[in-house]
Amino acid sequence: MRRLITLGCCALIASVSLASDHNNLDKERPLRFEDAYSIAYRSFEFQNGLRLDTFRRGKPVYNFRSEIQYGFSKNKDIAIGFEPSYSSESRKAVGNAVEFSYFEGFAREIGDKPALGYRVDVGIPVSGGKGVALRARGILTKTVGQFDKIHVNVDVLHSTEAEPNTRQMSLGAVIGYSRPLGYPRRFDQTLLAEFGVEQSRQRGGNLNGWVGLGMRRQLSSTGVLDFGIQTDLFRDKLEQASPVRLTVGYSVNF
Amino acid sequence: MRQFFAVTVAFALLPNAWAQMPGVEMKEGMKSRMPTMPSELPRWMNSRGLDEIFYKRGPYNWAIDRIPAFAKDMYATGVGHAMAYEALVTGQANQLESKVFSKIDWVLQHPPSMPVDEAAISPRFVQKYGYLEKVFDWAHTLHFQTIDVFSHPGMTDAEKEVEIDRLWKFYQSEPYAITGLPMNMEYLDSFPYSMTFRTNYPKVNGLFWGYHWLQTVNYDMLYRVPVKDHVPQYEVLGEQYRTSELYKTDRDFMPMTAEMSPRFAKRFPYIANAFDNLHMLHDNVNDILAYPGLTEIQKEHQIKIAIYRVLETTHAGQKAGEGEPMTLHDHRHPPSIPGMGMMKGSEDDVMFMSGMGWMDMSECAHCSIALPEEGPWGATVSANGWTMMVRCMMCARDMAAETPGRAIIRAATEDENRLLVMISDEEGNWTSNIKDVVFLEVFGQHPECSSWSRAFTSQAAFEKFVQANPELKEIKPLSLEAWSKLNYGTPETYRKIDRPNPYRSGGGATPPSDGGSK
Repeated sequence: MRRLITLGCCALIASVSLASDHNNLDKERPLRFEDAYSIAYRSFEFQNGLRLDTFRRGKPVYNFRSEIQYGFSKNKDIAIGFEPSYSSESRKAVGNAVEFSYFEGFAREIGDKPALGYRVDVGIPVSGGKGVALRARGILTKTVGQFDKIHVNVDVLHSTEAEPNTRQMSLGAVIGYSRPLGYPRRFDQTLLAEFGVEQSRQRGGNLNGWVGLGMRRQLSSTGVLDFGIQTDLFRDKLEQASPVRLTVGYSVNF
Repeated sequence: MRQFFAVTVAFALLPNAWAQMPGVEMKEGMKSRMPTMPSELPRWMNSRGLDEIFYKRGPYNWAIDRIPAFAKDMYATGVGHAMAYEALVTGQANQLESKVFSKIDWVLQHPPSMPVDEAAISPRFVQKYGYLEKVFDWAHTLHFQTIDVFSHPGMTDAEKEVEIDRLWKFYQSEPYAITGLPMNMEYLDSFPYSMTFRTNYPKVNGLFWGYHWLQTVNYDMLYRVPVKDHVPQYEVLGEQYRTSELYKTDRDFMPMTAEMSPRFAKRFPYIANAFDNLHMLHDNVNDILAYPGLTEIQKEHQIKIAIYRVLETTHAGQKAGEGEPMTLHDHRHPPSIPGMGMMKGSEDDVMFMSGMGWMDMSECAHCSIALPEEGPWGATVSANGWTMMVRCMMCARDMAAETPGRAIIRAATEDENRLLVMISDEEGNWTSNIKDVVFLEVFGQHPECSSWSRAFTSQAAFEKFVQANPELKEIKPLSLEAWSKLNYGTPETYRKIDRPNPYRSGGGATPPSDGGSK
């Protein structure tokens, strides 16, 4: 159970930003990466999503993710979120962590210079975990060609009280790709893809890597539906690989 | 760990060029005429942040969707702007009038049902001119929110007017706000690059001015008009927009808010001015981007200067109605139109209106008698793309009858809270939004026409008026059907102002391809 809580805490740490626009990419909506832009000044955004993690040698885990963000200043937002999960293996639901986030997009794309941003997340366990999980993420977004965008996210994770045989600090990175779909005839959906690697939480463990494909679709002036699929390409031998991870979510701003 | 760093470094090695732009160098012969950089530009123009701002919260937001066809057409204007700008900065200018025009036109004829992110459609343009996008975005937000307020069914007309003023203050609170002072349009269109775009790309320029027609004509459709009457009016205006206004290449000048929505412009002159100044900024930007005599850096500088010219902050302390002619601070306006800056050739209230000729805006467009300054304002007639103010119902009807196609009359009644909206079909058959409407009409001398040609919301209201005016006691009310059949033609008092078109040298038929100081 503690392992599940820790995993949930780490999964939640690293959250989102941006307004409910299908072109503005938020972490976990539906893939892990995000772009370097905050949500609009004075706006709120409420995001909800369901994720199903399947395992070859285990029963699935269901995650519900909910987060509310506020653009408290130009190019800056804060957020609070939680991500309870239910393991069909143990038949138990846990609250995991409450996450507090700060995001700043300090440079937009100008000429050939990329957009740059960063976020800091603090995850505080609410159902049995110990210590505080911290994540610092650097984000770069750059247009290549005309409409294609590359997003690079680099993460540093730190646990104030790591469990025995797990790392106190680990690193990860995701390279994301996005492109509006349907131009020049429709303007309401964006295709996303990602490839990510992160260090295993196990002390001395190998890298974990995954790929994902997703879509964000504008449903209304303020609402965006997202859905994604991910699969683990390689994983440390002490961790279970997920052959299929499905995500569906909905975001609305107000 | 090594494995991790290898992958991370590979990610970071993206195509990148951090080269600095070359310095500014004006070409010989341009220095004295091309606008020069002010001593200090607002600092936000060099901000690296995206600085996106959310709209003002209110129950009315997105009420534009209650008029679906209008909302879609408005959303499509964003696509049209963005596609053209993107083409101009990505080396596709030579395809603007062909391939790009066709692409835009397809979208205009198949408009999106939701708002679009213009920045996503024109990423290269926004990377280059992000500061300009901030000005455009913020003004477009004002456009949409004012429309939303008027389209919202949950507020009275008085509440809407209060909220519109709040929106204006909200808009002004950001440094990207465009001034609400009238500006001299001839001056703003008098630079060496002016009119390049409309000359070289008349079809796409026609689209731009078509968008501006739509973005300004809608306000009189909405202002103090019952929400239920918005959709029927837009059936007329939308058809006019999609079949005609978008494809006009013979306009002399961009549509002005006070021309298209005179009632709205009279009530909210500062907003009308801001929209006109915004649209003029669009024209300036189009011209700068299309002007072959400027380097890329010079274009960036000229666009910053063009923005500076129209910003609220640039005109702090200035007053409407004052200013030195043909200067940056020329804030004079025609006396009867505080919501419009001076136009080319205009003198007091006499101005040239594209498609209509010379008009005295203080007079009824049909009988040339002065419009009353107080009380019920008579009516407006919208037909064939123009909107005119008239003194009385007779002038409204007979003026509409002179124009082919459908028409809309918006008229005052005895109840200042009930606006009469009448729409005619191609044959001149009128429908009314007030079921029991009756008319008073006793043909007499035009100078008094606003007293003997009026509309009433009911027979009771008519009788009350007649009782108060004993000289009319023998007069019977006219039903809509009976009133529609009357027609007194062009009044004897009508005075045509016969002067040459100031936009066309020699009075030729071709649209202006040069002007101002060129």
